Amino acid sequence: MSQMGRSIPRLEARSKVTGRAEYVHNMRVPGMLTAKIFRSTVAHGRILSIDAEEARGMEGVYAVVTGEDVRKIIPNPYFGPAFHDQPILALDKVRYVGEAVAAVLASDPHIAEAAVQTISAEYEELEPVFDEVEATLPNSPIVHDELKPAGTFADLKHLAGRKNTNIALDYQLRRGDVDKAFAAAVHVFEHEFRTQHVLHVPLESHASLAIPGEGTLTLHTSSQTPSFVRMEIARLLGWPENRVHVKVPFLGGGYGAKVYVKVEPLAVALALIVRRPVKVALTMEEQFYTITKHPVTFRIKSGVDKDGRITARKCDVYWNGGAYADIGPRVAQKTGFTAPGPYDIDNVSIDSYEVYTNRPPAGALRGFGVPQLVWAYESHTDLIARELGLDPVEYRRKNILRDGRPHATGTIMKDAGIDAVLDRIAERMNWSVAIDRGTGRIKRGRGIGIGFKASISPTTSGAIVNVSADGSVVIFTNTIDMGQGSDTAMAQLAAEVLNIDAEKVKVVHGDTDAAPYDMGTLGSRSTFHMGNAVKLAAEDARDKLVALAAEVGLPAGTNYDVQELFRKRYGMRAGNIVGVGSYVPSYTPPDPKTGQSANVTPFWMVGGAGAEVEVDTETGHVRVTKLVNVADGGKIINPKIARTQISGGAIMQLGFTLTERMEFDGGQVTNASFADYKIPGFRDVPPMESELIAANQENGPFGAKGIGESATFGVSPAIANAIHDAVGVRLTSLPIKAEAVLRALRAAQGNPLAEDEE
Amino acid sequence: MIPFDWVEPRSFAEAVASLDPEDPTVRPVAGGTALMLMMKAGVFTPTRLISLAQIEPHYSAITVEKNGALRIGAMATLSALEQSSAVAEHFPVITETLLTLSNVRVRNVACVGGALAHGDPHMDLPPLFAALGAKVLVRGPAGVREIDVDSLYAGYYETMLAKDELIAEVFVPALNGAKSAYMKCTSRSADDWPALGLAVRFEVEGHAHIRNPRLVVSAATEKVTRLTQAEDILKNAEADSVVLKRAGEAAAEEVTLLGDAHGSASYKRELLRVYLARAIRHALAGKSAQ
Repeated sequence: MSQMGRSIPRLEARSKVTGRAEYVHNMRVPGMLTAKIFRSTVAHGRILSIDAEEARGMEGVYAVVTGEDVRKIIPNPYFGPAFHDQPILALDKVRYVGEAVAAVLASDPHIAEAAVQTISAEYEELEPVFDEVEATLPNSPIVHDELKPAGTFADLKHLAGRKNTNIALDYQLRRGDVDKAFAAAVHVFEHEFRTQHVLHVPLESHASLAIPGEGTLTLHTSSQTPSFVRMEIARLLGWPENRVHVKVPFLGGGYGAKVYVKVEPLAVALALIVRRPVKVALTMEEQFYTITKHPVTFRIKSGVDKDGRITARKCDVYWNGGAYADIGPRVAQKTGFTAPGPYDIDNVSIDSYEVYTNRPPAGALRGFGVPQLVWAYESHTDLIARELGLDPVEYRRKNILRDGRPHATGTIMKDAGIDAVLDRIAERMNWSVAIDRGTGRIKRGRGIGIGFKASISPTTSGAIVNVSADGSVVIFTNTIDMGQGSDTAMAQLAAEVLNIDAEKVKVVHGDTDAAPYDMGTLGSRSTFHMGNAVKLAAEDARDKLVALAAEVGLPAGTNYDVQELFRKRYGMRAGNIVGVGSYVPSYTPPDPKTGQSANVTPFWMVGGAGAEVEVDTETGHVRVTKLVNVADGGKIINPKIARTQISGGAIMQLGFTLTERMEFDGGQVTNASFADYKIPGFRDVPPMESELIAANQENGPFGAKGIGESATFGVSPAIANAIHDAVGVRLTSLPIKAEAVLRALRAAQGNPLAEDEE
Repeated sequence: MIPFDWVEPRSFAEAVASLDPEDPTVRPVAGGTALMLMMKAGVFTPTRLISLAQIEPHYSAITVEKNGALRIGAMATLSALEQSSAVAEHFPVITETLLTLSNVRVRNVACVGGALAHGDPHMDLPPLFAALGAKVLVRGPAGVREIDVDSLYAGYYETMLAKDELIAEVFVPALNGAKSAYMKCTSRSADDWPALGLAVRFEVEGHAHIRNPRLVVSAATEKVTRLTQAEDILKNAEADSVVLKRAGEAAAEEVTLLGDAHGSASYKRELLRVYLARAIRHALAGKSAQ
């Protein structure tokens, strides 16, 4: 029976509902100390002194550690995937409110927490900068004295040593001649859109447990990227990688919050300083000071000819990266090149700036920046259609980027079901039939949004498939199951090759001593990259079984019992077969000046949404009455799990659209708790339809590709477009709160709502 | 969290005796849903908590009397109140309010007495009980007294309760055919604290002639507040759109509304205007209790 397309339950489902599944937060080892963190109260300042005398004297406190203590054992204690800019504990300066300044270690976490309350620090306050556009202006305060690219990525090397700038990356793409095309255009449209500061909110916050050995180190951590953690810790310590063992159990959600390196260096530094196991386990509230999603300002300008064809598009995107670069420069670049949207446009200019500010660091969050871009370009495209008096769906069909046509990078589109996704949204929305527009205070409208994303490249994955003498199979992989069902998907892929039931496969994940290198469980890359590696490993194992059959004299092409095979070979039940797979797709680096590349991504992700809304014109409340989510996931391995990725992604983006916003007073987050930062609850989930189109990714494992982010793309603009359709006002900033809608309505009526007096 | 004493008295009297009016770090705890948030946030650090979980079981009783009045023991959980068929029959407005009060996990442990004694203006039951004309029976070392819920609140998180007094019971007079509604408006997620809470109770003659209106606003104000000027407009008036509009205007003028993360003060003024009319209409349309 084919294992593809089987909706088997997740392999780990039972162990999770019975509480047996392992998480770092639950781990305890003998002699373990818990660290609690003292954090900066100023957004930008020079550290003058840290007073921890009282904390050190408290009964039960084992040690208090500052950045200077860390420097004694790690001379250059700066980490990060793109830039080596983030100190393990603040050194010399603090750059955002909430930055880790000191750590208290105690056996009892409550004592450590109480001791943190007694620590104080003096700062020479420096002028901060919070806005991503202001930070690029000539007189802006400077967050980092000098840019320090990590060298991990070749395309960031040119930034080394740059001074007196907050622009951590200035990515550009040039295709055709936009100026000429604007001059020739019949219509030119220009808009600015903004997104707010939000965060990931995995129900399990970050946790790392570092256990020092004799010249070795074991690190249990809630990471989406165990291979990178091992490399980065080895680099910081100057150790060979084989002295660092990184293990990852299950994650209680990741969404990009746990990619690359977060609290791991702190746990390691503390453990090496005190020579005892140390656990750093953040509270839910501390997530607000750890990693967030980029707020974005996106200025977008389009030229349109007399037939409504978009002939030119200019995109200026400012990404608020916060105080430390994290993976932000890659967001600005790898996502930046999709800023014009899934449209067939001859003349394109993109400038995408990753900007340092004195806000908490921003990184990857389910879509790697794409949802911020789609919000802008699909709102903009809708405005163009409205202005031209054209149906929004028809307008998109006229301009959509189809397979066989070049993308803005010059890469020819392939296996990207953009038009198919658009068609299915229109069908499910019953778009050809007019809707009831409502009467009285309730007005109805509908809108769509569609987006696409390139896979991060070039990246590599490796996997091992072991077949034991009894025929049972184990996959060793560093793809992490964080709820998305990757263990189950990998089991199905291996089982498909080996012609066994996926339920019988065991998956060992997240162990750098056992499984080969993997770039990371991120960017919807695992099904494609690790899926291909697992498939290759399973094929290698299968080929070795066939060879073994020949070796023991079984006729080729016959069915044989695997147990019998091993018995014949070894004279008893013994031995095993190890299949190895390694996958790295082809890639052509883009020209640094023009962004042009013949092969910029191994595959495209496509997703879109259609929304019907009711707007209460007296209060501004928006009720989504129908939300259609459609994505292209290639061939689907496990339809049931895949659909939960679509619905989950859409609900997450619904929160970023309507309810979620980190509120700031200066640099201080004022709603750093889940009583005041509101993710959607069950009563906020609208009637939803989720669909994965019939598709095939030619180079994917059995035609599959990633789907973890695709459902986030279209939701925000679909809702804004539907609101415009309902009541004729345009919201250009997220989130769309009822008050903002009412204010826009009243302003349009010439009866604006008063602003509060201070 | 610094260690503290946890006391579990077996009787209400013993619980009262365990309180210390001179020491703000000694507090009673019922369901603990609000207090735990304050402790987690570091806003409150107790030295001693007096758990009311083990006091006499009759403090959890919910009884509808023959005349239709309701008595709720202070330790009745919100779930128990929500699931009481007698309450659903005689006070459908209470059942309706509870269905969207926070979430089921909170309702399963939070208690009615705690919901009234906490003094957070964003809670749903205080304005509703105030509109229904409810009283709390309070017991302290000096004995028992009654306080009307609409005068229970002194300010933001402040009540008229002495530090050694506990709410024992809530008494809600019979509706006797009166109409009532509670409407809340959240501006972020549906389970958020409200930007505005509005409770109404009134009697009706004929189609929409209003007698004895009681209108109470919360969440947007510093404390649970009667809207007396709006009540005056509705009193003995026909609840048509002109009167409802005037009442809404009066309500928006007579109270100080506070701007916060839920919305600006001027936005809440709009909400109050709009929701006042909606609450009256909702009550008029709703099924009247026996």
